[in-house]
Amino acid sequence: MRTKLALAVAGAGLLLAAVPVWGHHAFAAEFDAKKPVKLQGKVTKMEWINPHAWIHLDVKNADGTMTNWMVEGGTPNTLLRRGFTKDSLLPGTEIVVDGYQAKDGSFRANGRDVTFPDGRKLFIGNQSPGEGAPESSK
Amino acid sequence: MLQQLRGCAVVAVFALSAVPAWCQASAVVAKAKAESKTWTTPRTPDGHPDLQGTWSNTTLTPLERPADLAGKPYLTEQEAAEYEKRTFANLTGDRRDGGADADVARSYNEFWRDRGTKVIASRRTSLVVDPPDGRVPALTPEAQKRVAEAAAVTRAHATDGPEYQNLWVRCITRGLPMLPGPYNNDFQIVQTPDAVVILHEMIHDARVIPLDGRPHLPPGVRQWMGDGRGHWEGDTLVVDTTNFSEKSNFRGSSANLHLTERFTRTGPDTISYEFTVDDPSTFTMPWKAEVPMARAEGEIFEYACHEGNYALTDILRGARAQEAAQ
Repeated sequence: MRTKLALAVAGAGLLLAAVPVWGHHAFAAEFDAKKPVKLQGKVTKMEWINPHAWIHLDVKNADGTMTNWMVEGGTPNTLLRRGFTKDSLLPGTEIVVDGYQAKDGSFRANGRDVTFPDGRKLFIGNQSPGEGAPESSK
Repeated sequence: MLQQLRGCAVVAVFALSAVPAWCQASAVVAKAKAESKTWTTPRTPDGHPDLQGTWSNTTLTPLERPADLAGKPYLTEQEAAEYEKRTFANLTGDRRDGGADADVARSYNEFWRDRGTKVIASRRTSLVVDPPDGRVPALTPEAQKRVAEAAAVTRAHATDGPEYQNLWVRCITRGLPMLPGPYNNDFQIVQTPDAVVILHEMIHDARVIPLDGRPHLPPGVRQWMGDGRGHWEGDTLVVDTTNFSEKSNFRGSSANLHLTERFTRTGPDTISYEFTVDDPSTFTMPWKAEVPMARAEGEIFEYACHEGNYALTDILRGARAQEAAQ
């Protein structure tokens, strides 16, 4: 399971025309397109809550102070099926998050892309039906 | 995905294009039964088919036949493989070609979601089986007016308060019928001799459906998920639901919505779920869909709708913050 954990495309990519009306979130109403954020820091905890896991990370600001951000993730069931476990993103792990900040200005963001500092994308497993994890992730 | 592959292995695939659409769903049921020679319907101690377990209806097959597949009710095996690959790639690809606004709206891919990787085993190009064009029938003029008026109100007041947000964001209900969404397409079914309980992971909806023949609630009592009554027709559980609230609003449906659902075990790891939507105040004709369900692995997680999802508060607080900034 762990060997399947690695990269792939995190974030993006929804051909709206092919998908029924997406009802649970109006993302554009929740997150601010004018506030793109790139957060780099160490994971402090990961909350496994249904319907969204939340990744917490400490991010150092330009003035040296620290802010704890929360980044929205997938549902526990989806993550487990992808091979993601509670050991997959341990506290202390350094990650980079590319996303958009919540419109209310709180330190929450969507997890458009979550990558490791060396560029590997945090994602698991099967990109294509039946093909297994991409070769480069094994 | 595993569950879907397993479902596909169990329910064999057939070319049914010569069969009238109205019959195809039940033909699938009959044929699947015939092909599972060693399998017999498992039964509860009181002798009824055992539907219990955790099931998923995740699929890449859309409710309505896409326009580019008009006139093509079924895909060949090869076409299905290509469709799956293309659709999954579209859902997963990293698209940043629409600017920041579009990027926010479609910022999540299949890592965060769970639409599966396969089409349904019959390779029909829509979940809708009747009308034969695989499309939900047109709305009546009355319904068109109602839907347009409601949409105008929502547009004008979208972020004024929670009541203008949809039922998912408000954590009220995923609603009926049971169609797959972007994730949490898991259902747990529990049976007793007198009732069937269906728990839906999304929004933690639990339906308690009496089987004891009691009549529907009086017409004045309206519920988000209506008032369901079940009975057995042979080896099929039939659930008849009325008394919907007009606010339940399935694709513009009214309080007159009459939903009939049929659950049939078709193999060790599959259920055929069919539903018929009859609402003359809304649709110009009744319509019917068939959604296969496959045994899901693992447990259903408790749904902490607002605790795990700040959408409603983020949307409203975000609107207030932006107003204050102006």
